[in-house]
Amino acid sequence: MQMTAEEKDTNKVAAPGGASREIFLPPERERVKDGGRPHVSAKNFSIFYGDFEAVKKVNADILSKYVTAIIGPSGCGKSTFLRAINRMNDLIPSCYTTGTLMFDGEDVYGRYTDEVQLRKKIGMVLQKPNPFPKSIFDNIAYGPRLHGVKDKKMLEEVVEKSLRKAALWDEVKDRLDRNALGLSGGQQQRLCVARTLAVEPEILLLDEPTSALDPKATAKIEDLIEELRGSYTILIVTHNMQQASRVSDYTMFYYEGDLVEYAPTKQLFTNPRDQVTEDYITGRFS
Amino acid sequence: MPNATLDSGKKPDAFVLTPEKLRRQRIAKFFGEGFLLVVASFVAIVVLFIFYFVAVDAIPFFQQRGFTEFFTSTSWYPADEPGEFGALAIIYGSGMVTIGSALIAVPLGISAAICLSDVLPFSVRQYAKPVIEMLAAIPSVAYGFFALVIFAPLLQNYGGPILMWAWWLIAGPFVLLAVIVVADLITSGDGGGSERKTIRWTVTGVLGILALVFLFWVGNALNAIQILSGTNALNVSLILSFMALPTIVSVSEDSLQAVGRELREGSYALGATRAETIVKTVLPAASSGILAAVILGIMRAIGETMVVWMASGNSSHIPDPWYNYLDSIRTLTATIAGDMGEADQVTGSARYHVLFAMGLLLLVFSFICNLVSERIVVRQRKILAGE
Amino acid sequence: MDLGTRKILDRSFTAVGVTSILLMATALLVVIVPIFTGGIGAIFFKGTIEHRKLQYNEFGKGDLDVLQRQIVETDSYREKVFRMLEAFEVEMELMEPDERSAYSPKYKKVRDLLSHLFGPLPGEMEPILLRYQYGVTRWDEAEESLHKLMFVTKWDYSNPDEMAKPYFVPRSEEFEGTALAGLFPYMESNLENMLLPEQTFYWGFITERSLDAHIFGGIWAEIQGTFFLAVGAMLFAFPLGVIAAIYFTEYAKDNFFTSILRSANSTLAGVPSIVFGLFGLAFFINTVKVSESKSVLAGSLTLAIMILPTIIRAAEEAILAVPKTYKEASLGLGSTKWRTIMTVILPAALPGIITGGIISLGRAAGETAPIIFTAAVSVGATIGLADVFSSPTPALSWNIYNLASEHEAANEIRHVQYGMVLALISIVLLLNLSAILLRARISKKLKG
Repeated sequence: MQMTAEEKDTNKVAAPGGASREIFLPPERERVKDGGRPHVSAKNFSIFYGDFEAVKKVNADILSKYVTAIIGPSGCGKSTFLRAINRMNDLIPSCYTTGTLMFDGEDVYGRYTDEVQLRKKIGMVLQKPNPFPKSIFDNIAYGPRLHGVKDKKMLEEVVEKSLRKAALWDEVKDRLDRNALGLSGGQQQRLCVARTLAVEPEILLLDEPTSALDPKATAKIEDLIEELRGSYTILIVTHNMQQASRVSDYTMFYYEGDLVEYAPTKQLFTNPRDQVTEDYITGRFS
Repeated sequence: MPNATLDSGKKPDAFVLTPEKLRRQRIAKFFGEGFLLVVASFVAIVVLFIFYFVAVDAIPFFQQRGFTEFFTSTSWYPADEPGEFGALAIIYGSGMVTIGSALIAVPLGISAAICLSDVLPFSVRQYAKPVIEMLAAIPSVAYGFFALVIFAPLLQNYGGPILMWAWWLIAGPFVLLAVIVVADLITSGDGGGSERKTIRWTVTGVLGILALVFLFWVGNALNAIQILSGTNALNVSLILSFMALPTIVSVSEDSLQAVGRELREGSYALGATRAETIVKTVLPAASSGILAAVILGIMRAIGETMVVWMASGNSSHIPDPWYNYLDSIRTLTATIAGDMGEADQVTGSARYHVLFAMGLLLLVFSFICNLVSERIVVRQRKILAGE
Repeated sequence: MDLGTRKILDRSFTAVGVTSILLMATALLVVIVPIFTGGIGAIFFKGTIEHRKLQYNEFGKGDLDVLQRQIVETDSYREKVFRMLEAFEVEMELMEPDERSAYSPKYKKVRDLLSHLFGPLPGEMEPILLRYQYGVTRWDEAEESLHKLMFVTKWDYSNPDEMAKPYFVPRSEEFEGTALAGLFPYMESNLENMLLPEQTFYWGFITERSLDAHIFGGIWAEIQGTFFLAVGAMLFAFPLGVIAAIYFTEYAKDNFFTSILRSANSTLAGVPSIVFGLFGLAFFINTVKVSESKSVLAGSLTLAIMILPTIIRAAEEAILAVPKTYKEASLGLGSTKWRTIMTVILPAALPGIITGGIISLGRAAGETAPIIFTAAVSVGATIGLADVFSSPTPALSWNIYNLASEHEAANEIRHVQYGMVLALISIVLLLNLSAILLRARISKKLKG
């Protein structure tokens, strides 16, 4: 709240690479409404597991309504960073953070922050599809019910809308009362996306959402991300560089806890500024 | 969105709370978790209460009578006036059936655990586990009934033959196995070839005949035994061992499983047979866990009431000779159960308090056993985790 | 050692393991099979006319017309026996005094055995105890009594080194040449006509109350008492146990205090059951005075603290087995921790928790030692639900002990004891079986 003035300042400065923002806007994609403002911004943000600094003093703005990919070798801190945004790391007792992480101008780790409300606004889909052992309908309706929607009609509407958004409606509309665990892996993952969308979040965090899926299901998820682009701010952690270059507008490259490079995807993949980035994207290590 | 807003009418959800809201949330959390903590502490409170209330009723006995008589005398005449409260024979009886049941249950339980964890294929294991669970589930009074009504008459009428058959079935295979191994070891020095073979067969033959003579001799001696009363320490030990088995098997199996595949594979890779792998590598690594299993099994045996009450004969004397398992005995648990009926009308008498003294003895013993086994398990976990 | 020997050792090692498991299975069978066959005998047996009389008189069951016809039929055969007794009594009157006093005890024995078979003989007073008002109700017992009537048991003390051996002398020899001599062959050939044994399915053994300290009747009071005690214990222990498990798995921090609580849990699990009984007596009855003396409430409370550790452990395991991702998914959707536990974790863990609960229920039903001083009475009528706070109850476990060890006619009511043990074992094993099946279904579900 006191940060608003400062926040406005940072708005003018484009975060990635410190250069002007205009350069980074992908020319081939139209600009979307309310897009391109810093939605999540990290300042000197570090994450520790006990004594180990898993993410080191990150400074970056994640721009609203764009797809940002986070890549890097395993153990580089990319997932940790992602999970820090909706405070899922709170589940790990030894984990704590320093610096600030702002979401919509409010401190995510502030004293008055309610992580439960925060997570409602920042939805998350995990690596392995994790539907609840309930019916498809109950899975989607779980979030809305949680937040006080009891009306059956309204729930049905939300379920249909979310499933349509997740491009799953046509496949499951006849068996909404079946157990969600009976769906295929790809369908389960889209169900998880739909479940997250049903809470109407502003940000979608996808933590390697396709790593447990086959190529066909992966393609469907990527199509889905394409569909959702422009409506949500999307962050996707992936170990698949082709995927990152296909689906994202911006890409962050993490290496050993450092945010090494953060640039428009095209630029990062064609003309990386850092040697480590180049080594990584050319496959010299992984 | 007009159709499906989530915050039906509420203010758009800010994730930043007002201080007022935060305070309310904190208070709710404090009381909520406090409630859970209180419930979770209930067990600890109960344990304290048990110690306190048993001790409170036990102490008057020691104040009145001191420790010497209780622990050193074997005259147990609580009903006399004045009563005699020498519990040595009773403590001895408890120890006797506990050791007896451990002697049966420990080898049986460990080999069953090994079989479950390393020998049987998964499909068979699925059927073996419910057997063990059912053994554990049968109520102790049903075991007691079996021991008293079915087993005791058998033991009384056919005691000798039963002992002889048990001897043959159990000792026979082991003795013969020992013959083969010893013959191999004796002759292992003499080079190779057919000469060694003949020597070896001769040695095996001679030893085998000696072993058979030995088996027959002992078997006949056992056959001649007459059991005067079927309700005796042997009966109780046997039944108790089957009650302790499930605990021993399941805890040792867990500990064997915890050893891990790498260690086993390492041993197999060096050309060891399964038996050698288990005996030389797996068992030593799992030994502390197995020890914990044995302690837990012993606790089950010493704390058991109904079987010993019904089938031990309940005579408070030290058997003659001291190792005579065919004699009747009396245990702490059975004494508490049996004497309370006459004693609890006159609370305050030594007769009432002495039973609590016995309870306290059992309680302290089981508490120590528990602490020890817990320590052992924790230590094994640490060792296996490489700390 | 050469390879051959090593292989033999390896094989025998396997054999020992397999044998020990087979031994456990055999032990299970050896315990269960006799109890099962014996117990079935309490429900399914050849019942005599006396059984049917008793059923009609005491419980109003049976067909009166048939019964009356049968009574007339049996009485006509019995009549002849009574006639012989009368004739012998007349004969005794005419005897020399010393001859008479020699016959008198032998005759008394015969009369006793006959009244055991047929109930009170003509001319005797109606006995007060129910057990003397009827003859033998079971044909197997009747055959035993007949044997006792036919033969006198004598003991052979000829070999001083061994225990004396029994041998049998026909009783008819004692009454050679008297009016009673004809009784024995008559009894032997006509016993069936006098008792009319019929294959009986006595379901009432489960549903009826006992008569005259279990000499007759069923075991309903015990079954009901066991039910009250076990369910009462669950009512206390189950909620407490589940809440404690939630605390341990979801809220407890890894510190010294928590480790003490956990340690207390395993200590409680190791306390000998009889000590629970002592504690129940000293605390619930003598200190808190939940009731004047023994009561179902005191017994249930004692059993509850006994099964609490088992429930906590089972619930903890079930909660820990719930995939962590469920929790993450729920929290990620903006659910509070408590809502997550209530709506996702507990439902997923519920089958496992219930499995543990069922097993504990079985354990509470089967335990004896904790209820000896707190709840159990040997003979008692069924109690109403309202009496659980104040009155003690008979219970299967306790009454098995009592009937087998302390009952004055323990040998004659073996079938009741077997029946009770079978009932108790069936309850416990059925509970365990359902738990095993439930668990199998869970593991199948988790595999997908």
